[in-house]
Amino acid sequence: MLNNFKTLKFIILTSCISLFLYSCGSQKEHETSEVKTVVDSTKITMSNIPDESIFNLQSKWITQHDDSISLIKFANKITVAAMVFTHCQSACPRIVADIQRIENALTSQEKEQVRFLLISMDPERDTPPVFREFSKEHGLNEHWTLISSTMDATVEIANVLGVKVKKLSDGGFDHSNTIYILNKKGVVAYQQNGLEVSPDETLKQIRLLQ
Amino acid sequence: MKCFIILILVLWHQDGTAQHSRNNNKIVPIKGGYYVPLYSLDSQKVYIHDFSMDVYPVTNNDYLEFVKKYPEWRKSRTKSLFADSNYLQHWNNDTTFNKNIKNSPVVNVSWFAAKKYCECEGKRLPSTAEWELAARASKTKIDASKDTLFNQWILNWVSKPNPKVLPNVGSTFRNYFGVYDLHGLVWEWTYDYNSALTTGESRGNSGLDNTLFCGGGSFASKDLNNYASFMRFATRSSLKAKYCVTNVGFRCVK
Repeated sequence: MLNNFKTLKFIILTSCISLFLYSCGSQKEHETSEVKTVVDSTKITMSNIPDESIFNLQSKWITQHDDSISLIKFANKITVAAMVFTHCQSACPRIVADIQRIENALTSQEKEQVRFLLISMDPERDTPPVFREFSKEHGLNEHWTLISSTMDATVEIANVLGVKVKKLSDGGFDHSNTIYILNKKGVVAYQQNGLEVSPDETLKQIRLLQ
Repeated sequence: MKCFIILILVLWHQDGTAQHSRNNNKIVPIKGGYYVPLYSLDSQKVYIHDFSMDVYPVTNNDYLEFVKKYPEWRKSRTKSLFADSNYLQHWNNDTTFNKNIKNSPVVNVSWFAAKKYCECEGKRLPSTAEWELAARASKTKIDASKDTLFNQWILNWVSKPNPKVLPNVGSTFRNYFGVYDLHGLVWEWTYDYNSALTTGESRGNSGLDNTLFCGGGSFASKDLNNYASFMRFATRSSLKAKYCVTNVGFRCVK
């Protein structure tokens, strides 16, 4: 009981300090997550991720299921990610097919450790219903998450990943086609560049992370 | 309850400091207009709305105020995701640097840091188009991009090595809009610095990192004589958002 009280006191104090320290940006969430680790220190959370983890991005994202999430949600599993836009005529379906090739090559046991993530570079058009339609069309299962955010968060994540994106006047995008393998802590462990390259090396890298 | 009182005190205190630590950078209005990107697969005019721009690049002193207020951007604390190991490498430590660079433009800052600085000032980084629009003004002309003397002046700067100690902001010239140092001092970050994608396109393969500037001959440029613009686009496109470079600074717009 006393212990609980101490924890509570600590939480309150930390919240106050966090408010004090951060006024620009949304660092608050970071502090709150840190408090949670007092309770459970085995899981990967905001407090024990490396500096180079993409989970350090504070942005909020919306999924195909209308859920609002932070990137830390992808902690504790290996993530195969790519930036796409669903109105894409040719390259994106191919990049999705390339990821599916990776997915199909994994054993069912391996699949349990891996998640697939499509990050929209077209937040204006890629809404949850559009994502759901796209998932159906491409037969994406429950291991896949499609997310979009604000334009600013999109530009930020593209910069973190080193994706070059350029909006074209016809509403499309020029972009690099790269598949990213994130380790359980959100650090880019491997990049598969280009379309229709053999997934062998990527699979090897995924297995190294298991 | 105690917490609530502390909170109020803290907020009140922050409000107070915010007043004093605001940097001295004045902003001036920039008249919008049409701008044709130097090269693009999709070359066409973009219309830029009126905006306001910092008169000077952000100085070391301005930046010091920022890291004092936002300790997560001190060099010992900044995450490697957001800035490489050269971040503020010309500073002695988290909050000190040689006095003689106080009013020099801050360099060795990443895109993430520059972007955050502007946000915390209630501003933003300029788009490349906005920056170029403001920077095509000479002392007397709103658009001097075809002015040989003007372009030659810029090229002369580009061809000189970087001085050991960067001069103070305001040491170059005041352009038509009242903005200083767009040329002649440091390169500057823009919000979409990396949007000039020149190899392949959506359907192509993407060996982007290594081939970006080797195939220069194939650029669909609107004006091949404008070598200085090429230099700027080349410099920008060679950057990554976490790079901190000794001759890249920034300024903000609104």
